[in-house]
Order: sequence, then C-alpha cells, then structure tokens
Amino acid sequence: MSAPDDPKARDEARRGWLLSAPALVLLVVGASGPLLIMLVYSFLEPGQYGNVEWALSFKAWFNVVMTRDIFDGTLGFADAHLTIFWRSAKLALLTTLFAFLVGFPTAWFIATRSPGARTAFLFLITIPFWTNLLIRTFAINQIIRNEGFLNTFLLWTGIIDAPIVMLYTDFAVFVGMTYVYLPLMVLPLFAAIDRFDMRLLQAGYDLYASRWQLLRHVIVPVVKPGIIAGSILVFIPALGAYVTPRILGGGRNMMIGNFIELQFGQGRNWPLGAALSVVLLVVVTIALIVYTRFAAGSQDKSHG
Amino acid sequence: MSETAVEARETRKVYGQGAAAVTALGGVSLAIRKGEFFTLLGPSGCGKTTLLKLIAGFESPTAGQILLHGSDITFDPPNTRPVNTVFQSYALFPHLTVAENIGFGPKMQGRPKAEIAETVKRMLALVRMEQMADRKPGQLSGGQQQRVALARALAPAPKVLLLDEPLSALDLKLRKEMQIELKRLQVETGITFIFVTHDQEEALTMSDRIGVMQAGRLLQVGDPRAIYTRPANRFVASFIGESNFLHGTLRGNEMTLDAGPVLPVEKGDNAPAAGPVTAAIRPEQIRIAAGGGIPAKVRDTVYFGTDTHCVATLSDGTEITVRLQSPVSGDVGLHPGSDVHLRFEPGALIVLPEET
Ligand SMILES: Nc1ncnc2c1ncn2[C@@H]1O[C@H](COP(=O)(O)OP(=O)(O)O)[C@@H](O)[C@H]1O
Ligand SMILES: [Mg+2]
Repeated sequence: MSAPDDPKARDEARRGWLLSAPALVLLVVGASGPLLIMLVYSFLEPGQYGNVEWALSFKAWFNVVMTRDIFDGTLGFADAHLTIFWRSAKLALLTTLFAFLVGFPTAWFIATRSPGARTAFLFLITIPFWTNLLIRTFAINQIIRNEGFLNTFLLWTGIIDAPIVMLYTDFAVFVGMTYVYLPLMVLPLFAAIDRFDMRLLQAGYDLYASRWQLLRHVIVPVVKPGIIAGSILVFIPALGAYVTPRILGGGRNMMIGNFIELQFGQGRNWPLGAALSVVLLVVVTIALIVYTRFAAGSQDKSHG
Repeated sequence: MSETAVEARETRKVYGQGAAAVTALGGVSLAIRKGEFFTLLGPSGCGKTTLLKLIAGFESPTAGQILLHGSDITFDPPNTRPVNTVFQSYALFPHLTVAENIGFGPKMQGRPKAEIAETVKRMLALVRMEQMADRKPGQLSGGQQQRVALARALAPAPKVLLLDEPLSALDLKLRKEMQIELKRLQVETGITFIFVTHDQEEALTMSDRIGVMQAGRLLQVGDPRAIYTRPANRFVASFIGESNFLHGTLRGNEMTLDAGPVLPVEKGDNAPAAGPVTAAIRPEQIRIAAGGGIPAKVRDTVYFGTDTHCVATLSDGTEITVRLQSPVSGDVGLHPGSDVHLRFEPGALIVLPEET
C-alpha cells in the first residue's frame, strides 16, 4: 500500500477511476435507472390504456395491502396478494432446497472425476441453456399433462387407472423450476468443491470423524461460499419466475412475477405493478441480508 | 504383552492392475518398538508414504498384515485406529481456528467438552502456540502451521504418530529448529513416532532407529551409528553419507585391490567369504600420509570451509575422495599431480555383500 500523501500514487489512483468511468456510468445507469423509474411510477396515477398519468398518487401503494370489493365497494385486506407472495416464497424456497439436495451430489460427482470426464460433464450441464426456456418448459408440460408421457406410461403399466393431475398445480411449478434452475446451483457448487482440498477428508478421517461427521464438520463449512452463491442464484430468479409458473401453473397458480406482469398487461395498472416490483425487490434484499448473515454467523458460532 | 508398537508382516502393496500395476511395496517385514523414534529413510518413490498409509489405514495391503500393539488392524478403517498422521501438506482445516483444529480429534471421539478444552490447552502449551489459539490457519507461518498440525495429531493421544516428511516444506533454519522440537515432543509424550524423510542427515540426527528403503524394499534397519558405520550394501553406503568404493579380491581378512595393494578389511553383514568383492570406505576415515598405504595421485582439491575434499586417483583409475579438515591457512598444500599415500585405520574398509 502506498502512503496517501504520495502525489504519484494519488494521480495513479485518479487515473484508475477515470479509466473505469465509462463502465461505472453504464453500471449505475443500467442498474439503478430502471429501479428509479419503477419507484417513480409507483407513485403515479394509472393511465386509461396502460402507461401512467403524471399525477402524484399513493393509490398503488395503498392497493398493495388493501383492496376494494368489486361488488359492495367495502375496503378489505388484500389477502390475494399475500397468498401470491406466500406461494412464490414457498415455491422459491422449496426449489432452492431441492436444487441443493440434487445439485450437491451432482457437483461432488463431477468435481471428483478425471479432468477429461469433468469437462464432459460440465458441458452436459450447460446443454439445456442451448434451448429456449419456453420450449424446455413446454417439454415438461408434455411430460406431465393428463395425456402426457408419464400418465400414459403409468396407465399402460396399470399402476394407476386414472391420470394423476400434475399440470397446473404448485407441484408442476416446483418441478419445472427445479429443472430450470438446477444448473445455477450445480455450477457454483462445482467451483467450490473443485477448490476443496480432498486431503482434508483424509485428515478428518484420520482424526476419528465418521463419514457423516466429515460432511457436517469439514465439507459443508469449507464449501459454504459455493452453497450460498448457488442458493442465491436459484432463489432470486425462482422468486420472480414468470415463464415456468405461466406454462406449468396455469392461470390459478400465479406467482408474483405473473401477477406483476398482469398489472402491466390486462390489468392496465402500471403503478400497482411498479409498487409490487419494489416490494419484491425489498423482500429479496432483506432475505439476502438475513441469509448471508445467518450463513456466515452459524459458521463462527457452531464451533465456538 | 509385546514391546512392539507396529509390525508389518510380509506387507505387499500393488497399485493398479495388469500392465499398469506398480509394486510400491514388495513384501516388507518390520517391527517398530514402543516409544521409539523410528525413521523410514529412502529416495522419493521408494514406498515410504505407502507404508505409512497402510499403517494409518488409508490403503489396505495387497498381501500381508499390519499389527498395532499386537492386534491385527490390517483392514480397520482409519477412524478406528489409535494412530494419527501429520501430513506433509499439514491439511489443517481452513475454517477452524487453531484451538478448534487441535480439538477436532477429541471432539470426533466424543470426549466431554471440559476435557477437550483441557486437552487443547495442554497441546497449545506443548507446541508453544498459546498466543495463536484463535487464529485461522491462513494467518499462520509455515512453521506455526507445522506446530498446529503436530498438536492436532497428538491431541487424541494416539498410540503411534505418523509423520510424512513433515519438515520438507520448511526452510533450512526453521527445519533445524523443528527437528529439535520434534525430538523433544517425542521424548516428552513417550509416543511412538514413525517419521518419514528422504534427508539422511535428518534421519541420522533424530532417530533411535532407521529403516532404509529402496524401490519398495527395506534394505537395512538399525540405529544411526550401525547404519552409517556398517552399511548393509552399496546403496545404503552411498545414500547415507558419502562412500568410496574399492574393487578387489577377498582372501580371508585381506583384500587385494585391483589397483595393487593388499589391505586389511572388515566384513559387513552377508559379505562373501572370498572372491571378487566391493568394499566401502568413508571419505573422513582416510588420511593423507607421506608413505605406506595406497599410492595415489592428487587430481583436484575442493574447499568447503570447515572441510577440504581431495580427489585422488589410484593406479587403476579408481577415484577416491578424502575429506580433510581445513587448516588455518585454508590451503591443505596438495596440488594436482602430486603423489600421495592414502592410509586408514583397520576396520574402516567394509566388504559389502554381492549385489543381487
Ligand atoms: N495411488 C497410487 N496409484 C498408483 N501408484 C502409486 C500411488 N501412490 C503411489 N504410487 C506409486 O508407488 C510408488 C511409491 O510411492 P510412495 O509410497 O508415495 O513413495 P515415497 O513416499 O517414498 O516417495 C511410486 O512409484 C508411486 O508412483
Ligand atoms: Mg512420500
């Protein structure tokens, strides 16, 4: 480190800032611009055919929590919004958990192969990205719908005698999201496990740890950054998912993403959509802060 | 009750199969005594680590047995053997503090918390790391990590401690310090140490007994003095210290050198009774004299500070290195081409067994 009063170092530091200025401007405008627009829109009046009218209004924010009955006009708590939020959070959490349970052994398996096999497996993991998300989701639709492959097969074997209804349920959304976001869990986990020094296992095993204890006291704490990264990468897009719940959840099993889209589309209530987006952002941010704090803290405490 | 801590019986280890098979150990039998500092010495790739892995339980032998305090542990998993290892890479847990690293073994053994705390404290004091108890391994120097690795392996009070080239990553000065430290720890704890090194000086200064290995075989086992003064074969004679080799014909206790002179010899273990033989002599056992002994011609002298090495040639071309103490002036006064006579005490020239 150079002394702060060294003029040459200061010049250099300033030049460094200048050089990265275009990227910084792009980042600031690109990241906070849309957020700012959302925030502003949430305090405006909805326009008749979509868009907004430039008049200050808190109606959208009021509508996030309260709703006026369309028949008798009485005010009531907007429990539909809460239901949608809750379903989204529940599905996103379940998806994250399940992606971890499937992704961890997968990542471990890949990381412990020979270098050649490892490249091949990683390549396989990325193959789904080649196909459009919509098409992949429709493929799942084809598999699980009442006349789909799965039900046809089960009926043919005689295990069931009426199709199991899977499509347009929360279960369908959960399966679809787990499938779609699994690679996002596997890749950071792989990166962390790849860096994991396998000799630590030998050391732990030598020091009387059972296999289960090795997992709990050595592997999980050491690869924790990968677990955190993977969980965040899955949880955030899952919470705001749009395509998967739309195609596999149908109209009834909406998630927050679909509900927001509804406001900008048929609902013609852009301010409410904007307010809901801001709420989603705040919820995600709080969840992330709590999660990372908790994850980092539990490591310090559990061995104290 | 036996006095043997670890015993290997005809232990073989072959890695891989078919054409790719590597015989890392070819039938090694060895008994290590309780409470001794035993060193496995040999060049890289001779099977030292493999033997340690068999004792620790990370590998199981292709044939043969491993016994610990008299009971067969050949196929016991590592976490049930009262044997701990100090790894060459230290393998400290990066997410745990020094104290937690040391407490790991006792914790996994299910010892009560108070006992663990007491053990950790005692171990920290033993390796003089009390000040570092709350640091993470990443914040320690190589020598400090080494101490933590030692303390961690000693904390569960193993019957045998295995050390796989633990000092090879340290610089020379630290290494000398740790040699003394290790020896102290072994004496204080009374635990059987099996120490692996490819450094012959390290082996000679630290060990109660040394086992010299080469290419998966145990060539000689003995205390440092015996290994040095009576090497069992040519490999041991040249791997541990330096040796000059003389060829000639043995008759009784005299050897006629190919270069001419007849010399008294000492017969090493398994030396042949008569016939063509090779004998070894250490450079420091030879004196340069005005007459008698073996006539030779000085080829070169090399100044090493405390020592000066003089390379002389016998009449048949055999090169002999003589180690002389450097005089005050630094100049031994031997010039290339000058004629000298090489003499030594009877018993310094050892007849080696025939190479097989
Ligand atoms: N896991 C393994 N697979 C195949 N060959 C091995 C393996 N481990 C060691 N070897 C071979 O066995 C021989 C002895 O190795 P090692 O015991 O590590 O020697 P040292 O510790 O004396 O250097 C070497 O030839 C080495 O290449
Ligand atoms: Mg080795």
